[in-house]
Amino acid sequence: MANLAEIEEYNYSVFVGSEEFVSFRTLVPVGSSAPDIQATVLDTGQSIRLSEYWKKGDVLIEFGSFT
Amino acid sequence: MAPRFAPKSVQFVFLYTREAHPGENYPAHRSFEQKLAHARAFREHFKVERSILVDDLVGTAHKLYGSLPNMTYLIGRGGRVMFRADWTDPPTIEYALNYVLNSRARRREGLRLAPFYAEFVGYRWNDPARFQEGLARAGQQAVDDFARVMQRWQKQGLRPGRIELNE
Repeated sequence: MANLAEIEEYNYSVFVGSEEFVSFRTLVPVGSSAPDIQATVLDTGQSIRLSEYWKKGDVLIEFGSFT
Repeated sequence: MAPRFAPKSVQFVFLYTREAHPGENYPAHRSFEQKLAHARAFREHFKVERSILVDDLVGTAHKLYGSLPNMTYLIGRGGRVMFRADWTDPPTIEYALNYVLNSRARRREGLRLAPFYAEFVGYRWNDPARFQEGLARAGQQAVDDFARVMQRWQKQGLRPGRIELNE
């Protein structure tokens, strides 16, 4: 179970600028294996692994939020 | 774009992360229920038809893929990263998808094409008015916080990790 400090650190309450543009370039480069993460499907509330998509075909993933 | 590529077995998903520009209306998440509610509001506002996946409250998936606010990854059947970009731009995605699908088709036809590592500079459509609308939707705090960061960026000059071209 995540603690409050971890939740507050990731979910910052004041935007100060994205600092991860440099580290992005060396993380998960093309040709490498994509991390097989787990997430919740909004429609069903069920948990799904990304590999369930890439077993069936290609998958295009956009990351983002409402804001 | 998703319906055009569906017959080619390309699935489109949206992975919901932390709020990039938290404000009074959509503050930083403090519970998973709240994150789900924001994801539903996003889906309704933009009439999103793709599957929306919601990351956990501490961004486990988001961090593994680079933590940026609006990245795109194309992952091929089997799990290899075929294309990725630090911003999402539909025409660039379409270009990459067509490139990958056409190359694969030509290989299947027997052409000797060897995969190799490649990079290029993307050009994305930037609409400041629409961006400001989004900030206002989040709340006045989001507008003010972004204005403050913009001032800092202007003073600093070069922003690390951003590409600027004098063409």
